[in-house]
Amino acid sequence: MRLTEHPILNFQERRGKKVTIYFEGQPIEAYEGETIVMALHAAGIRVLAHTFQKDRPRGLFCAIGKCASCLMTVNGIPNVRTCITLVEDGMQITKQKAKPKLPTTAKPPKWKDPEKIDADIVIIGGGPAGLMAAIYASDAGAKVALLDENPMLGGQLVKQTHKFFGKREQFAGVRGVKIADILEEEVKKRENIKVFLETSAIALLQEDDTKLVVGVRKNKELVEFRGKAVIVATGAMERMIPFENNDLPGIYGAGAIQTLMNTYGVKPGDRVLIIGAGNVGLILAYQLIQAGVEVKAIVEALPKIGGYFVHAAKVRRLGVPILTRHTILRAEGKEKVERAIVAQIDENWKPIPGTEKVFEVDVIALAVGLRPSIELLHQVGCQIKYAPELGGHVVIRDKRLETTIKGIFVAGDSAGIEEATTAMLEGKIAGIAAALSAGIASPEWLKEIEKAQKELDEFRSGPFGRKVLKGLEKVVVE
Amino acid sequence: MSEVTIIGGGITGVALAYELAKRGYEVTVLERRFIGSGSTFRCGTGIRQQFGDEANIQVMKRSVELWKKYSEDFGFPFTQSGYLFLLYSEEEIEDFKNNIKLQNKFGVPTRLITPEEAKEIVPLLNIEDVLAASWNPTDGKADPFKATMAFAREAKELGAKIYEYTEVKDIVVENGEIKGVKTNKGFFSTGTVVNATNAWAKLINAMAEVPITIPIEPYKHQAIITQPMKSGQINPMVISFKHRDAYLTQTAHGGIVGGVGLEEHGYDLTPTYEFLKEVTKQFIQIIPALKDLRILRVWAGFYAKTPDSNPAIGRINEIDEYYIVAGFSGHGFMMAPVVAEGVADLITKGKTNLPFWWYDPYRFERGELRSKAIQMG
Ligand SMILES: Cc1cc2nc3c(=O)[nH]c(=O)nc-3n(C[C@H](O)[C@H](O)[C@H](O)COP(=O)(O)OP(=O)(O)OC[C@H]3O[C@@H](n4cnc5c(N)ncnc54)[C@H](O)[C@@H]3O)c2cc1C
Ligand SMILES: Cc1cc2nc3c(=O)[nH]c(=O)nc-3n(C[C@H](O)[C@H](O)[C@H](O)COP(=O)(O)OP(=O)(O)OC[C@H]3O[C@@H](n4cnc5c(N)ncnc54)[C@H](O)[C@@H]3O)c2cc1C
Ligand code: FES
Repeated sequence: MRLTEHPILNFQERRGKKVTIYFEGQPIEAYEGETIVMALHAAGIRVLAHTFQKDRPRGLFCAIGKCASCLMTVNGIPNVRTCITLVEDGMQITKQKAKPKLPTTAKPPKWKDPEKIDADIVIIGGGPAGLMAAIYASDAGAKVALLDENPMLGGQLVKQTHKFFGKREQFAGVRGVKIADILEEEVKKRENIKVFLETSAIALLQEDDTKLVVGVRKNKELVEFRGKAVIVATGAMERMIPFENNDLPGIYGAGAIQTLMNTYGVKPGDRVLIIGAGNVGLILAYQLIQAGVEVKAIVEALPKIGGYFVHAAKVRRLGVPILTRHTILRAEGKEKVERAIVAQIDENWKPIPGTEKVFEVDVIALAVGLRPSIELLHQVGCQIKYAPELGGHVVIRDKRLETTIKGIFVAGDSAGIEEATTAMLEGKIAGIAAALSAGIASPEWLKEIEKAQKELDEFRSGPFGRKVLKGLEKVVVE
Repeated sequence: MSEVTIIGGGITGVALAYELAKRGYEVTVLERRFIGSGSTFRCGTGIRQQFGDEANIQVMKRSVELWKKYSEDFGFPFTQSGYLFLLYSEEEIEDFKNNIKLQNKFGVPTRLITPEEAKEIVPLLNIEDVLAASWNPTDGKADPFKATMAFAREAKELGAKIYEYTEVKDIVVENGEIKGVKTNKGFFSTGTVVNATNAWAKLINAMAEVPITIPIEPYKHQAIITQPMKSGQINPMVISFKHRDAYLTQTAHGGIVGGVGLEEHGYDLTPTYEFLKEVTKQFIQIIPALKDLRILRVWAGFYAKTPDSNPAIGRINEIDEYYIVAGFSGHGFMMAPVVAEGVADLITKGKTNLPFWWYDPYRFERGELRSKAIQMG
């Protein structure tokens, strides 16, 4: 079902031209600018595939191209990530139930040499970190190429309908979507930033002093980006937790639910159970209610709520129970989630028999944390260290966010899970530092770095910054 | 004290340990990292008898017999799904006709087939420009992980000792007699050393001060594997020298494994973009439908190359007792069972019935290079 009324977002205005796509031969209404999976979901289709060995149904999970849960055959091409592939009129989409069989009649394609893009700085990821990095690198005099595999800029911001905390300079009081718009405007104003959407970075390599980012546009065109420096701002990927039937369609990452309802105006379901009472879980509850979805409860394993008090209070006021010291035991349902079984846990995190509660829900939202997307940094050979305070494995870097490989920088959630505010400040620092390292920015710009570093320190000095600081101690070197 | 100490726990080392243990010898294998971590677990899985000289054909014919026997006895996957060489020119066809004659002489049933017959064997093939193909249905492939682990397991069962994460640092030789080897885990006393370190063989030879020149050099070779597709679509190993010495086949899991001949001298193992591009470009000419399949992983391993692409196998007479079993280029996996059998005979009986003279380690010193062994990748 599509949302038509929303207190903050206007989807009627956003939707493109009406087109028809075909799912297993059946025509389905879709709109230009929508991804395949969103159109299918709006038509009530949640089962996207069946696993090859055990024939278990599969639905979407991350909705940002990072988990491979949504692979389908599109126009005969197997294994397409339908969550980041836009619909086109007449598209034929089929479920994969077995490993694909290839056509024996295919003709050898003509080899096209890859398009070559030269820049001073190549930025991977167009979330708040990447956008700010692009803006500041460009202002410091650098020619920038910015690529993102999603069809729009803004990263996680495009789905944040709530107003942000922090300081005024970092857009406090402004809604996330609005911040994305502002940053995108700024990027567009600058002629020396070139943006490449629907372009996945698949490899990061060194060619003497030059860095090479290999990109694939729209699943088919090879693009080579070369620069003197690279900034990796690839964000994060949502975590999954173990419980029985945790692969049933209808069990989605919190971010995926936001993508459904806030980015594409598709109602994720009718009744939702949220796992995790950190800020993400709390905000999600509020946003679901905004979209007219019933939130049955929020389940949290810790003895207390992890998120900000204001968010929790707001959710409670709306009548959503928050069950601390509880966990999910299992999901039930045939082809998709029909109910969830939850139980209380003791001090040793063991479920207490007899405390089981049943929730009749069709969606289970997992808001149990994120882990940094460090794949490209790992592949190119940056040194990596485990810092659970930052969400898992992250790269070693200095105060200007340069990694152990000269000319390769990191910023935002891919450097360690924090917030949009810190992502923007880190983006600014990395952008300027990269321009300095490429020998483009004048030394004047050092002052701007120092300013941003001070703002970061201030921001992290609060109670929520303590954990992050502990993590940073492990990975930031001189 | 171990009668025989094998340095290197690749398939050569563990298969030899098995053969020696079976003959009642006390054997120890010392492996720097873990079993298979050298080149063995990085190989392309192919096993063929289609060589261009009598020695290698005979040796590989025996190896295939052993692959069959051991895969049944030990329970690991080995299939005789054949090798299909695609031929694009009259010269190539002439060469292969001669090879086939030689192979047939030793009972290897290779034959020249038409492009249409080739397409029947692999329906996904692009046979445009293919003039003929050389086809031997008794060649095949095996799972390097399961095969190597099976030999290691069987060797241990017969009493062989395998030490992983144990790196040989030096070899103690007194008056031309081996006393033992020094490792990061201490001293292992032994009277006989077998150098089965393949790409690292020259370093071990230097430790033992082997007095002759045995030129074995490491060359980086890369391979890829794709997402799985339905099994049975590319059964044989498909080879095309025209497409930069490409080889490719489908694994039991369904992914396409293979590579092209792009090599780099030295010990670096970083995969390259140049290779990725080249492999993509060549594979889609041979099997166009692969254009829609994603590459999952790319990795590198070593071809340990000698000037004639034949290994160096034999006793070094100046040292009591030291054997070299290394330098397998792109065909050390397929040879392992027969090499293990032959070397075990050399150690225990001083001779083998197999034509191992072809691999004489003194041939380089004497300037008697062999005809180059057929190599792909
Ligand atoms: C529910 C929720 C509420 C939040 N509320 C707040 C809040 O109130 N205040 C606050 O400050 N923060 C908040 N955050 C956190 C904030 O959204 C993130 O910390 C921030 O978006 C991180 O920015 P980023 O640029 O590092 O990554 P992202 O925003 O995740 O952007 C990464 C981008 O990189 C792209 N990418 C990844 N890999 C590749 C590749 N290989 N090739 C090409 N492109 C790639 C992705 O498509 C994506 O667009 C919230 C987050 C959530 C989920
Ligand atoms: C991409 C690629 C594709 C290939 N495809 C095929 C194919 O299809 N068919 C085929 O037959 N062959 C193929 N090969 C070749 C094959 O992989 C090798 O010839 C074979 O694995 C050699 O086995 P080995 O046991 O002799 O050497 P390895 O497996 O390299 O074992 C040697 C071992 O010695 C150890 N070592 C080194 N130094 C020390 C030390 N100082 N102390 C202790 N241990 C040490 C190493 O760690 C290593 O594990 C391919 C190779 C590559 C790289
Ligand atoms: S990759 Fe599409 S849902 Fe995760």
